[in-house]
Amino acid sequence: MVPAGQYHAVMPDQLGRTVSIVVLCLAAAVAIGFVTFGPRPGTSEHGDRIVLNYWEKWTGTEAQAMQQVVDAFNESQDRIHVNYLTMSSIDEKAMLAIAGGAPPDVLGLWSFNLPFYAQAEAILPLDLPDIVAETYAPAVRPLVFDGDQQLAGVNTCSSVALYVNLAHLDRAGLDYRNGGPPRTLEQFDAMIPHLTIYDEDGNVEQAGFLHMDPGWWHWCWPGYFGGQLYDVETDVATIDSPENIAAFTWFQQGQRRYGLDQLRRFQSAPTDNPSPYRNFLTGRLSMTIQGPWLARVIAERAPDLQWAAWPLPGPAGEPGAPAGPIECDILVVPKGAPHPEEAMEFIAFTQRQDMVELVSALHAKPSPLMEVSPEFYFNHLNTSIKVHEAILHSPNAFGTPAVATWPEMNAALDAGIDRIWNGDEDVAAVLADVQAEVNGQLERARVRRERRGQERFGVCP
Amino acid sequence: MKRFRTLTGLAWISPWLLGFACFTMLPLAMGMWYSFTDWTLLEPAIPIGMDNYQRLLGDEVVHIATWNTLLYLVISIPLLTVASIAMAVLLSKPARFQAFWRVAVFAPSVLPLVALATIFKLMYDAELGAMNKGLSYVGIDGPNWFGTEAWAMTAIILMNLWVVGPAMVIYLAALRDVPRDLNEAASLDGVSWWGRLVNVTLPMISPVILFNVIIGFINAAQVFVVPYIMTGGGPNRGTYFWSMYVYDAAFKYGDMGYASTLGVVQFAAILLLTLGLLLVGRRYVYYRGGMT
Repeated sequence: MVPAGQYHAVMPDQLGRTVSIVVLCLAAAVAIGFVTFGPRPGTSEHGDRIVLNYWEKWTGTEAQAMQQVVDAFNESQDRIHVNYLTMSSIDEKAMLAIAGGAPPDVLGLWSFNLPFYAQAEAILPLDLPDIVAETYAPAVRPLVFDGDQQLAGVNTCSSVALYVNLAHLDRAGLDYRNGGPPRTLEQFDAMIPHLTIYDEDGNVEQAGFLHMDPGWWHWCWPGYFGGQLYDVETDVATIDSPENIAAFTWFQQGQRRYGLDQLRRFQSAPTDNPSPYRNFLTGRLSMTIQGPWLARVIAERAPDLQWAAWPLPGPAGEPGAPAGPIECDILVVPKGAPHPEEAMEFIAFTQRQDMVELVSALHAKPSPLMEVSPEFYFNHLNTSIKVHEAILHSPNAFGTPAVATWPEMNAALDAGIDRIWNGDEDVAAVLADVQAEVNGQLERARVRRERRGQERFGVCP
Repeated sequence: MKRFRTLTGLAWISPWLLGFACFTMLPLAMGMWYSFTDWTLLEPAIPIGMDNYQRLLGDEVVHIATWNTLLYLVISIPLLTVASIAMAVLLSKPARFQAFWRVAVFAPSVLPLVALATIFKLMYDAELGAMNKGLSYVGIDGPNWFGTEAWAMTAIILMNLWVVGPAMVIYLAALRDVPRDLNEAASLDGVSWWGRLVNVTLPMISPVILFNVIIGFINAAQVFVVPYIMTGGGPNRGTYFWSMYVYDAAFKYGDMGYASTLGVVQFAAILLLTLGLLLVGRRYVYYRGGMT
């Protein structure tokens, strides 16, 4: 024990020694940690090859399909090696990586991401040999080009069609074999009651068609009525246009046909299939709108299902030029990519007809290119691929609005659709509210462009 | 000598100081700066003065998020306080398997919120969920929990009660600290159990109640994970909270400048309301040793 009088004289020395020891120990621990776990000089297993990091959003079968393209590229030459990484929430991670100055070389995004990244000048224009806008299907071009400038390559492309359980149609006595698919919305609506079956308690046992099952394309209904959400030429939102009011009124009638309580019971009912397509796969839903990949899912999970894909009819479409939403999976080179030229070389490779057809066929999707080889259709996983192709090449095909604020616009639309579907509110009034909110978003985007002296995406010559 | 001791003290706390400066103060200062800019994250920030704050005043989504957050605060904090005190009082009584019951009440708090929210989302399923099944046994036709704004908010508030554990443990410790002689004296004077609880126990643990209310308030004002997973903010933005808007503005809309403004306002509001709670606490909280 230190005598009271000596305490202050002795303690500083002791404390000083203790502090020194602690600091030295900490420094030693940090040094050992750095040596053991710290960064190392590049010890690439790919020799002198330039390594490209390619981030993609797919998992499972779809990721494996793209892996084949990556492998083919890596084997096709000996200068570049593509390191293929798949991840979730890729758009958010990409945004942070670009902002942090550490982006990948190649980035796989959705086509609806492009306007935001392009407006922020966060992606590099592509210079791909032998590729022009006319290389792609007409509906694809505005999704990857801004005027003459190509901003993205196309990985795969999908159009949305009406998937129909043919056995249900037969049971209901609907003669699709002679009459063909419904040609008008009225014919389509008339089919639904025939396909709806109630149990003895009055609950829906089998539904004809549900707009919100699974409800992934809630923005698409105006397109079938000749409406659009946004006019890219004038930069004006057209959400409360008469066509859109008609489209969402029809959408609301889909809910009223059954009633919210019935729908709740129907959609919550137990099935032995946990997928988002469960009601269609288990025969509880006769018709649903879906992308072409559903054919692959059916083959894997419900191989006995008798099905066909038809265009969903609407006032805007016609048998020769059906309407339908389309989306693309795109490849871009982000700003700050370490090897932009090599990245473009890889993207150019992926745009080769054989590579596009390889990955599209494995995804059960149509080719986004104008030229399609006859082999593409042989053994294609989707026996209705021509229907998807017809929608893709139709002048009535439509994508998400080409506007940088689409995520925000979509959130406003989402809230409005909730009110129309669940709240049973007046469609015109709800769309007017959404229109007002979106007008504010567009005005802010305009002010932002003026501050930066930018041209609006979609108006480049 | 004094200088040496100060330096020594600073050396000891330097790791924390460094972390606090780098990971709290610096981001806070940067957030404040960015709140006065137009910044998309992908482009350089441009100073725009008070524009973001002006926008915030007229932003309908802000009004909705503010209302939802306040509603959640006003309902969930009193409920959580009452529930955790009630559990603590119950579990402070001698009982068989007392330790088991205490662990059982605390255990849900150990689970990650993401897992809890996912489990509760299933439990709230209108047809198959345990909640409505349970209600049906007592003859009640359960609601469509996520079908309307009111029921979705109720679902989130009720789920919040599941994690009373941490507050309950603190109340348990506080209850052990209530002088036994006071309760005995009151008992001898013929005061009922309820009277002793209200007039003796609660005043004696009032500093702890204030502490838990403040911590609960700070957490509730930043509620994010549970509504994000359970409802996604719907239906019709009925469970869209302030923190969700901060997240969406930053990472979905790429509007980091405005997200910073929302974050700064949220921080200021929490700070001011916490100070308000402390001031109110001065009047109503009984400190045995007197306030220092």
